[in-house]
Amino acid sequence: MKIIDTHTHLPGWTFESKPRPISDLRREFETEGLVGAWLFTTDGLIRDTAKNNDILVEAVEGHRDFFVPFGTVNPHDGTESALRELERTKFQLGFKGIKFHPWLQAFSMTHPAILPILSRAGELSMPVVFHDGTPPYSSPLQIAAVAEKVPHTTIILGHAGLDDLYRDAILACKRQPNIHLCLCGPSSGYLREILHNCPVDRLLFGSDGGFGADLIAWRIATVRETGADPETLQKIFYENPLTLISKAGVTQ
Amino acid sequence: MRIIDSAVRFSSDVASHTVDTYRQAMASCSIDHAVIAPGDNCVTVYNEEGNVQTAEIIKTHPDLFSGLAVANPWYGPKAVDILKRAFDGGLRGLYLHPLRQGFRLTEGIIDPLIDVCLAYGRAVYSHTGTPIVCEPFQLAELARRFPDVRFVMGHGAYPDFWYDVSSAMTQSPNLYIETSCQVGVVLQQVLDTVGADRVLFGSGFPRSQPGLEIDKIKRLRLNTENLAKVAAENAKRLWGIKR
Repeated sequence: MKIIDTHTHLPGWTFESKPRPISDLRREFETEGLVGAWLFTTDGLIRDTAKNNDILVEAVEGHRDFFVPFGTVNPHDGTESALRELERTKFQLGFKGIKFHPWLQAFSMTHPAILPILSRAGELSMPVVFHDGTPPYSSPLQIAAVAEKVPHTTIILGHAGLDDLYRDAILACKRQPNIHLCLCGPSSGYLREILHNCPVDRLLFGSDGGFGADLIAWRIATVRETGADPETLQKIFYENPLTLISKAGVTQ
Repeated sequence: MRIIDSAVRFSSDVASHTVDTYRQAMASCSIDHAVIAPGDNCVTVYNEEGNVQTAEIIKTHPDLFSGLAVANPWYGPKAVDILKRAFDGGLRGLYLHPLRQGFRLTEGIIDPLIDVCLAYGRAVYSHTGTPIVCEPFQLAELARRFPDVRFVMGHGAYPDFWYDVSSAMTQSPNLYIETSCQVGVVLQQVLDTVGADRVLFGSGFPRSQPGLEIDKIKRLRLNTENLAKVAAENAKRLWGIKR
């Protein structure tokens, strides 16, 4: 079965890590069975947003057939500056989506820059992935409250609420048709509950790949452990990620 | 390889979370023995009933199961009596779920129950990983206050506190970790930091699944001796399992 991973990170200097050649990362991902990966900046979530967006675009050069780059913008730069960087990532760097990590980036979903950024991202057909599942900035319902105000923007809860808040992620997904869940984090017993309760067309596979060996294999096994039928797995692992990113002009 | 699963709970509400379902998994995954604890509202309210049900399951399957007792500390002296009766009846440790039971691990309200564990020489398993009530350093703090009681960091503090796990483990030599749900890279960090003597295999059933969790343990960098410790020997010693 083809697998597209909608939640991977470019190794950088954050978390005592260090950069790795992109060809090594691709080889590792392909060995795990991936045919494509949405690749997020990691260092850019901590510092030097624009510089790290540039590092990401340079990293995926020559590997755009596999990696789909997602940059970030910093709400603390102010609305106008953040919007400029958003448009730069779209039109100059060719990024397909945006990743936010409210915990690492230290902003609340009520930050005044967030709504205009999300609205513009929707206009640009850029899906927006949020780290979620960890209070106080990244609970599913905090994100859903803003998602409700931008129904034209695709919002992805990058961890489907994790183990503590997955039931809130289910509520968010069922209530807001623009919310998708990336199944990167909840344990297999909880994934079963998510699969039982949420529209399967809005569920995506993701692994946090890039943060350590075995993560991709572990997450694939966790999703398979749910006992979902082959058609459902096909949607989660491949069709849904492909459909979502195709709207941003990518084919894999 | 002998396997003892230190993290199993059953539910009467969900068909796939029963004793029979888990026994099937035990057979298919070659799990020799499991340490079970009450689930659902038995954790919060109906402690005595949960302990009795657990003891009955063990009585029916003495080779397969040992058990942990629940006692909500908010019941005060009544909780102490519940716990003593459970230990007298053969349950081997205390199961805490601070999130469900409504207390922080650092609150003194838990002390009378830990004193019972100290008196009986029994270990304490706590669900961990959920802020603001059961974080790794909160359990480590409790372990410091009771250095003669052994504590288990349930589910390896997954998901939120992966960066605190190894450091907390180094603080308190009487602190153990149970492996379910936590990702391999974090468990490997623990093994590399404190060794294999305080790491217990757990499936986390029904939150996670035995086969998945066993495969994860086998992928860790463990020599044969240390794998045996993690898979069974540490749990056997901690819980006093005879078989």
